[in-house]
Amino acid sequence: MKLSTKLFALVLSIVMILGVFSLTSCNADNPAKDNEKIKIGLTGPLTGGASIYGIAVKNAAKLAVDEINKAGGLDGILFELEMLDDKHDATTVENLYAELYEGGMQVSLGTVTTAPGLNYKSFANEDNVFFITPSATGDAIPEFANGYQMCFADSNQGTAAAKFFNENYQGKKIGVFYKTDDEYSVGIYNNFKKTLDASFGDISATTASFNGDASTFDSQIQILKDCDVVFMPIYYTPASQFMTQANGVENSIKVYYGCDGFDGIDAIEGFDIATVPQEVSYLSHFNSTATEGPAADFIAKYNDAYDEEKEPLNQFGAAAYDCVYAIFEALKVAKANGKDVAANTSASDLCEILKEVFNSDSFEFRGITGKTEGNEKSHITWSADGTVQKEAIKYIVKEANS
Amino acid sequence: MELLITFVNGLSLGGIYAMIALGYTMVYGIAKMLNFAHGDVIMVGGYMILLFLPINPIVAIIAAIIFCTVVGIVIEKVAYKPLRGASPLAVLITAIGVSYLLQSVAQIAFGSASRFVVIANLGTLKIGSLAIGYSTIITLICSMIVMIGLNLFVKFSKTGRAMIAVSEDKGAAQLMGINVNNIIMITFAIGSALAALASLFFLLKAPSITPTFGALPGIKAFTAAVIGGIGSIPGAMVGGLLLGVIECFAQSVPAIAPYTDAIEFSILIIILLVKPTGLLGKKRREKV
Amino acid sequence: MKNIKWKHYINYILVGIVTLIFTILAFCGALERSLQVNLEQIAIAMMLAVSLSLVVGFLGELSIGHAGFMCVGAYLGGKISSILVPILGNGLLALAASLLVGGLCAGICGFIIGLPALRLKGDYLAITTLAFGEIVRVLFLNSSSESFGGALGLPTPRFDRKYLFIICFLMVLLTLFVVQNLIRSKHGRAITAIRDNEIAARATGINVTKYKLVGFIVAAIFAGFAGVLFSYTQPNVSSITFNYNYSIEMLVIVVLGGMGNLTGSLIAAAAVTLINSFLQAKLPGDLAVLKDLLYALILIVVVVYSNSPALKNFRDKYNLRNLFAKFSKNKHDSDDSTRWDVVPTKIKMDAILSTDIVVNDPQADKADKPKGDK
Repeated sequence: MKLSTKLFALVLSIVMILGVFSLTSCNADNPAKDNEKIKIGLTGPLTGGASIYGIAVKNAAKLAVDEINKAGGLDGILFELEMLDDKHDATTVENLYAELYEGGMQVSLGTVTTAPGLNYKSFANEDNVFFITPSATGDAIPEFANGYQMCFADSNQGTAAAKFFNENYQGKKIGVFYKTDDEYSVGIYNNFKKTLDASFGDISATTASFNGDASTFDSQIQILKDCDVVFMPIYYTPASQFMTQANGVENSIKVYYGCDGFDGIDAIEGFDIATVPQEVSYLSHFNSTATEGPAADFIAKYNDAYDEEKEPLNQFGAAAYDCVYAIFEALKVAKANGKDVAANTSASDLCEILKEVFNSDSFEFRGITGKTEGNEKSHITWSADGTVQKEAIKYIVKEANS
Repeated sequence: MELLITFVNGLSLGGIYAMIALGYTMVYGIAKMLNFAHGDVIMVGGYMILLFLPINPIVAIIAAIIFCTVVGIVIEKVAYKPLRGASPLAVLITAIGVSYLLQSVAQIAFGSASRFVVIANLGTLKIGSLAIGYSTIITLICSMIVMIGLNLFVKFSKTGRAMIAVSEDKGAAQLMGINVNNIIMITFAIGSALAALASLFFLLKAPSITPTFGALPGIKAFTAAVIGGIGSIPGAMVGGLLLGVIECFAQSVPAIAPYTDAIEFSILIIILLVKPTGLLGKKRREKV
Repeated sequence: MKNIKWKHYINYILVGIVTLIFTILAFCGALERSLQVNLEQIAIAMMLAVSLSLVVGFLGELSIGHAGFMCVGAYLGGKISSILVPILGNGLLALAASLLVGGLCAGICGFIIGLPALRLKGDYLAITTLAFGEIVRVLFLNSSSESFGGALGLPTPRFDRKYLFIICFLMVLLTLFVVQNLIRSKHGRAITAIRDNEIAARATGINVTKYKLVGFIVAAIFAGFAGVLFSYTQPNVSSITFNYNYSIEMLVIVVLGGMGNLTGSLIAAAAVTLINSFLQAKLPGDLAVLKDLLYALILIVVVVYSNSPALKNFRDKYNLRNLFAKFSKNKHDSDDSTRWDVVPTKIKMDAILSTDIVVNDPQADKADKPKGDK
């Protein structure tokens, strides 16, 4: 026999074995039918540049699941968590979603970041899997009936920030600093621009941008240095870089105003926010340096369980913690209403049950994100389109030096 | 006045690019390979500075230079030397593998969160209405010194001339009694030491570091090396400075800032179409 | 029967059998979702690898901007399909139209990038292709939200998941058909002649300009097709996907498969895709960090092992071909002359006509020789 014939035979047999293998392991309707615990699945960046967010989500969600299980679960039904690494890369999601779904995922936390989430929502919709994402803020994420958000959507954040500017910063010179290749940043920036009063004039001359991992901002500082208020819909790492580098340059900036991406800016090791002469404030649903109330309790628990230097907490993690509890509470309500919830209920059935609870007017979740008063937890509800309703808080991380 | 500030900022950024580009260009000139892992050596240098900074900034810098040199030599011995004589593409792929390897090791060792590395707070120089950070000026001066020094070293020292000989013709150099393997090793060592220096100046400018921190300056410096003519040391300097200035000017105009990368690469293509071997590259004669 | 050269058809048979088996499985409803997803990805990777192989392996030009062509195909094809699907329904007609447009536009880009290739060589051309890929990406990234969605990406319709992979594999067959026939024709011999010695090729009257452009255009068209199919697998196409790392991954596949060896490219495309998705899906949680480490180590070890001149003797002793030969009676595998995919035209013109002294590594020269010369 010739080599080619043999090679060919070899490949053929491998393919056949594969085929038979896939035949035997086929289970068409409910991949979760053998589950002994309710399986919560999600994807997020555990490696690569955005992994700080994914890791916080993984840790906090695991914390919540462990707590629930320790307290006896849902009348004895325990939960388990499976998180896969999507590297903040949208193309991996198809594969990972299939893996999760076939692995018996029944409810989901969606994705951590927006870009993969835009794919995830369609896949989850095809199988009718319920998901509530802790931190994928894109407007299109809750597009389908099965998708919910725990964080504020980009449009809400951009609009809220613009309204705040309209009320408080009239007559001031406004600048914007955003990231052109980030869905989150561009989404908020577009909505901000739309809602901003015409009285501010054209802000495009004071709109600076960057992309990728850029960390030197000399030119951007030159554009923005004559502004009074700089709006920064970006994450805290580049924001802290900008502040540090602008510090040495003569500028008239008085306020840095951010969105929920700013959370954690005062906890960066080596970056002393007191050295920034400007006011630094942001509008968000969580303050990861809170010292009192339910948020502080959660932060203490997190820092007990994990290495806060290598895997620091941020608002992503807090939202994930709330997401797990929201699913748990909703299932509890459903069970009390006589719905059949078991460890091996199919994802689609659970989705119908959860949708009904989340959409009902009477369901209100008490969480650690949103505005908390004293030791009272916050009030969180969802509107029919899947966006979250809770009170945002303006945190002033640092007052301006006078 | 603002144009002048942008220009100086561009020169200083360009100086850093040039320093990295020198590493690319020297390795290319001598080993005829694109060392895609070069950008990640910068990252290694940054983490070394982070690690030793609590002791003393000077110690940290020296430690970073030494460690990067060692890493450069080890990479050359383990990953590239076995492939000498194999197809250049195989070496390219190995370099990519080494780049992934360094990044994942850094992530395991230091986590993927961004770390602040404040080496020194140097303040600002003010001349009338001009305000330029001292770090910018120091970067500019140091990169000039390094580049001129390197040029003199290659032109006049014995080792430097051996480098030129090896890059011209390995076989002939060997016949003249030059230890080719040693020269290649020295080239890698110098390139890696320059990468460590580049990381120092980068951190003076923008004091934060992540495991993927080297990728962007790496690819920019590669572009700079090609603009100047890869394999040519003065070319790397010219290319680096040019790229830095273009980048700063493009980013200082809000309307075209999002297209900065596209502008840089378009200029690269135009330059190559006019001068197919870069600005200062040697014309290659085809042998038949 | 003796005259049928199996080796000419092995690629078709390979792909055909795989397609057939999985098609049957899919119609029985026995195909796992994750496998289906992998099959789509493998098919797209195969199309990219075969088309890139035409440029890198046969034309001999290093291209690290292949993702740029795919990006053009994905965006333009995706746009056309999102316009057509509401009118024509999500059927083959809309798919064919978007394939046509996506492939055509990518082909035009191939022509544009082929032009500098006439003037530039080697690494200078490589960086030009990289620059092209990045420029395309940046332009789509900053497009307005009405045209191509900008940073938020372009939402594209998805084809019926059950049958998409069959279409993908049919497109692989088409790619193979065109590329193989091109290579085996007189045009293909002209292309490999240019690779081996451009000046000699020009001297024998080969129109170098034409063939270089043809190589780039054909490769770009099929990368464009792959992009269109990619847009059909994804609900949302984002330009960040098509960065230079993606191009490099394709290059890795071509090099691992063996330069100018299409069967190798096909197998490497399948293997790399499967390894990637396996590491991605099976290493959850804390182990995720190890994934990149493993991938990097596998890459380095495989490339060093299979390319190192020092290990050549070891390789020859234990390679697959010889192991097979040991077990068969017909030990003398003399059929290399019919191996069309390894074109035995590599004449070392430099070595013949110049006076280079190669003393540094005597084995280097041997390693460079293609298998066909044996």
